[in-house]
Amino acid sequence: MSWDWAYVVKILPDLLLGVWYTVLVTLASAAIALTGGLLIAVFQDTTNAAGKAIVRFFLELFRGVPILVLLYFGYYVLPEIRISLPAFGLGVGVLGIVYAAFCSEVYRGSLITIPRGMRDACVALGLSPYTTWVHVLIPMMVRKAAPALMNYVLMLFRQSSFLFAIGVPVLLGRAQVVGYESFRYLEPFTMAGVFYLAINLPFVYLLSRFETKRA
Amino acid sequence: MPPPTTTMPATATSAVPSRRHDAAPVAAAVEFDRVSKSFGAHRVLIELDLSVRPGEKVTLIGPSGSGKTTVLRLAMTLEAPTSGDIRIFGESLRVDAQGRPRSQQDEARIRRRCGMVFQQFNLFPHLTVVQNLMLAPRTVLKWSVDQCRAAAIEHLRLVGLESKVDAYPAQLSGGQQQRIAIARALVLRPEVLLLDEITSALDPELAGEVLDVVRDVAHETRVTLLIVTHEMRFAREVSDRIVVFEAGRIVEQGEPQKIFTAPDSERTRAFLQSVLSH
Repeated sequence: MSWDWAYVVKILPDLLLGVWYTVLVTLASAAIALTGGLLIAVFQDTTNAAGKAIVRFFLELFRGVPILVLLYFGYYVLPEIRISLPAFGLGVGVLGIVYAAFCSEVYRGSLITIPRGMRDACVALGLSPYTTWVHVLIPMMVRKAAPALMNYVLMLFRQSSFLFAIGVPVLLGRAQVVGYESFRYLEPFTMAGVFYLAINLPFVYLLSRFETKRA
Repeated sequence: MPPPTTTMPATATSAVPSRRHDAAPVAAAVEFDRVSKSFGAHRVLIELDLSVRPGEKVTLIGPSGSGKTTVLRLAMTLEAPTSGDIRIFGESLRVDAQGRPRSQQDEARIRRRCGMVFQQFNLFPHLTVVQNLMLAPRTVLKWSVDQCRAAAIEHLRLVGLESKVDAYPAQLSGGQQQRIAIARALVLRPEVLLLDEITSALDPELAGEVLDVVRDVAHETRVTLLIVTHEMRFAREVSDRIVVFEAGRIVEQGEPQKIFTAPDSERTRAFLQSVLSH
């Protein structure tokens, strides 16, 4: 087994297409996860006991069932009941919803740490519930939750590789395809690992700097 | 809503003169009518009757846990009474004139006549000083940005902190933060200002600068003040009336001179002795 640079150059366009899809999946699902998680946390705080119980059920469902099971269910089972979703949309949706469930817990945790006095001050100032959330509580929640949320986005980036299982040409998928087309796996998987790391490391660095700054 | 003035806050021009103890022909600014409040089995207030005239400066004193802060929180609707009724300028917080439960909007309208300053300042840490002052006028009173900013600066000047317009709360001392909190409450032109142990979280030298601001507010405006404090000298200086609480009931009330020099109640005397000896 020897490293073949010429082969690396040949498969590079395929792998870069995989990088493009991986970034696209990460951005789209992160947008769903971060926004959805926030909305879930706000809903949980403002709804009644029945609403809380329903949300709790779905949170446990999406946090408890493996992502692959959800992907396969959506890809193979839903068409049997005449619901066919494009693989990319399904993958982004599943990742987004699963991570929204995780992110909602982070937001909820940060909401709990906001002193009660802040809400009292909002009442004393006559702020409406909408203004209280949009101008006071949500900005404070997001700031407190940012480091943990960044970690989840990084995890989401790595777990986007699961989408290969339903045919989305993410980086891992492209590496697998070019590998079995030429029966050479060393370069595709090594390069895939390098790309994952190369994209991941700047975020990890930024995150550590952000956390240091906050400390 | 008229634009903010550029001299004194509008709170200075409303209500009736302070230090009047004869019956005024207007409704009480704040009135507690047989109000009780319990937290679980713990009764914090027991059938409280208390009436504060417009423009009056009333200070509540008493041991910790006697229910003073709860009185302010009830008036600000941060807590709901277990029984009894609270009226702000004659309007019940619980029911309307027809006896129907108040809607949230209606309650908010009545509540808007009151402002409150808290022990822990409760400034919004992600907003600058001027943004803290502008948020409520902008979103509640729907003033223009220019009007809000002018009013904010005017009130920052009132508390001597116009140079801190763009600072964040974390960049200010505790005393400065509390002065900002007072300005934030005043910018809404409340007719009643509730001050809840506003110097308890401050060192003595920082407490002094906050009390100076409240003295100015008390002497130069006609806003009704309902104060909870352990600063007895300050209470004596600014108050028209002192109300002594113990275990959820009023033990005694009267003019500061009488309460501090010749209280009727033995419990008041004991409380004052314990406070003044520290």
